[in-house]
Amino acid sequence: MNNRASDRSILTIRDVVKTYQMGETYVHALRGVSLDIRSNEYVAIMGPSGSGKSTLMNIIGCLDVPTSGTYSLDGQMVAEKSESELAEIRNRMIGFVFQTFNLIPRADIFHNVELPLIYGGVPRQERRRRTERAIEQVGLADRMKHRPNELSGGQRQRVAIARALVFNPSIVLADEPTGNLDSKTGDEIMRMFDELHSSGQTIILVTHEDHVAQHALRTIRLRDGQIESDVRNGDVQAA
Amino acid sequence: MKILIDIVESLKIAWSAIIANKARGVLTTLGIIIGIVAVTTTMTAFNGMQAAFRQGAAAIGADVIYVSRMPWIVMNDFFLFRNRPNLDLAEAQALERAFERRAIVNPSMHNRQDLRFQARTLEGVDIIGTTEKMPSTSDRMPAIGRFIMEFDVRYKKNIVIIGSEIAADLFGEIDPLNKEINIGRYRYRVAGVMEVQGGQTFGGPNFDRQVFIPISTFVKNFGGRRNSDVDIAVKAPTIAGIEDLEYEVIGEMRKIRKLRPSEPDNFSINKLDSLLGAFNSVVGAVLGIGLLVTSISLFVGGIGVMNIMFVSVTERTREIGIRKAIGAKPRSILMQFLFESAAICLIGGLIGITIAAGLSVAINASGLIPASISPGIAVTSIVVAIVVGVFSGLVPAWKGAKLDPIEALRYE
Repeated sequence: MNNRASDRSILTIRDVVKTYQMGETYVHALRGVSLDIRSNEYVAIMGPSGSGKSTLMNIIGCLDVPTSGTYSLDGQMVAEKSESELAEIRNRMIGFVFQTFNLIPRADIFHNVELPLIYGGVPRQERRRRTERAIEQVGLADRMKHRPNELSGGQRQRVAIARALVFNPSIVLADEPTGNLDSKTGDEIMRMFDELHSSGQTIILVTHEDHVAQHALRTIRLRDGQIESDVRNGDVQAA
Repeated sequence: MKILIDIVESLKIAWSAIIANKARGVLTTLGIIIGIVAVTTTMTAFNGMQAAFRQGAAAIGADVIYVSRMPWIVMNDFFLFRNRPNLDLAEAQALERAFERRAIVNPSMHNRQDLRFQARTLEGVDIIGTTEKMPSTSDRMPAIGRFIMEFDVRYKKNIVIIGSEIAADLFGEIDPLNKEINIGRYRYRVAGVMEVQGGQTFGGPNFDRQVFIPISTFVKNFGGRRNSDVDIAVKAPTIAGIEDLEYEVIGEMRKIRKLRPSEPDNFSINKLDSLLGAFNSVVGAVLGIGLLVTSISLFVGGIGVMNIMFVSVTERTREIGIRKAIGAKPRSILMQFLFESAAICLIGGLIGITIAAGLSVAINASGLIPASISPGIAVTSIVVAIVVGVFSGLVPAWKGAKLDPIEALRYE
């Protein structure tokens, strides 16, 4: 079950450096990171705060571009893209799941999940079909017309997962997905990620919690903007 | 297709944003409402004045040109015309001969005299000496009785056809027909009463306060060749022929007056067009100033909208971050906020037009000027409202579109 990762590298990062200028000083958030992630891998990126894991996530998620180095996602060189093109890549290839859910409060569940398809220019009929399917997939078919504030935290995160999946992204990128949930609900959400992985989805978790990272099959630890360790933990998963 | 989906989505967002902030929307819209009411009412009043003027001037006839000593509208070069010779009846008759069977030529002369019937006197009434051809060159006909006839002119009859207001003022409930009245020192018999023309129009003559007598009688009683000036109306056979006719009339008049080619015309050609032109340029200037002043209120309204849009963008920073993360392009965010401010202004515009329509009904009822809101004005106002909305939204929307998604997502 855990050997389905293909040889095809979906994400290739080479010598990525990210430097921020804060006033007079330069902050080196990433100091030369190289990394390959293949299709259907289940990866946890860990590290203490200040290690550069948020910066790496932003770059992987195409919310930011590296100062130097290259990043190719599904064959596309991200560093050279314009803002609009990056938006398009995020739209088509990346499904974000955030710690704080980040649903749009005024819109109902259906509309929240539908949104990526709208920005992707998918025609109405197909939008409806795909949105309904994604919501059913996370078990909230009876909540479609509800607003986010009418749902529990776990349900909201499931909506966020539905939104992340609705456009069949190349990777699901989850940033502390259980950070705002109690442990029981957090476990439910993690089981959902496990299922997604077994159905073939590539998943990248960004977390500082070991028990969350243990769900993944590979753990990358960052420290001071560099990769400290990169280990496969398939055995742990099996246990 | 893609852009269409973007637009539909932007409209939905705009609508839900407005619904979510009703009180704020109402206050913001108020500025636009006031601006649109002001602009629309100004345009409506202008339209009304123009319509009233046209109606009043219809008696002049669009297919008629008038040869006179002076132009109707003298702006500031009065001295150029001051020394022109009067037009006299002989010249009118010469012109009539020149256009025999080609056009109707009708001379008329003006004077002011007191009118008296029994104990009632009207002072300084516009007396017009003319011929039986006048109804052909203008649209004016008698409502009761008859107009001047050829034999009245030939035999210098002392008959008079009076305007509708004169009839009401002088006779009240009494039937004026065949009553004797005094014009100056002379006695006239009332032969007819003219149709109502529509009363006074801005500075122009009040056609309902004129009385008509045969031109021959006019010359005998009031004229004297020397101090009386003849106006000659020439009616084109078709309205399309009026320009050719104008050149021919100028040519014939120059021949009659034996002007050398180097000499300028010493008479003027007047027509409805030139009157309308002068009217439009005067009222147009007033309209321009009015619109300028009212635009200021619209401008202030626009600033209000801009302000609220800045608030709206800041409030929704996080939402912008979310939208960007899941694939909204800067263009989509820009459109979202532009649609919102345009929608606010559109709603304001529609309310404003409704109020302005009510106002114009009230103005109409007051009888001051016949104001009526036209589809053209309504469409213009709506377009203006939308343009104001787009311009007010531009800078805030741009600010939103340019937000860094990472920063925006972090915003609390």
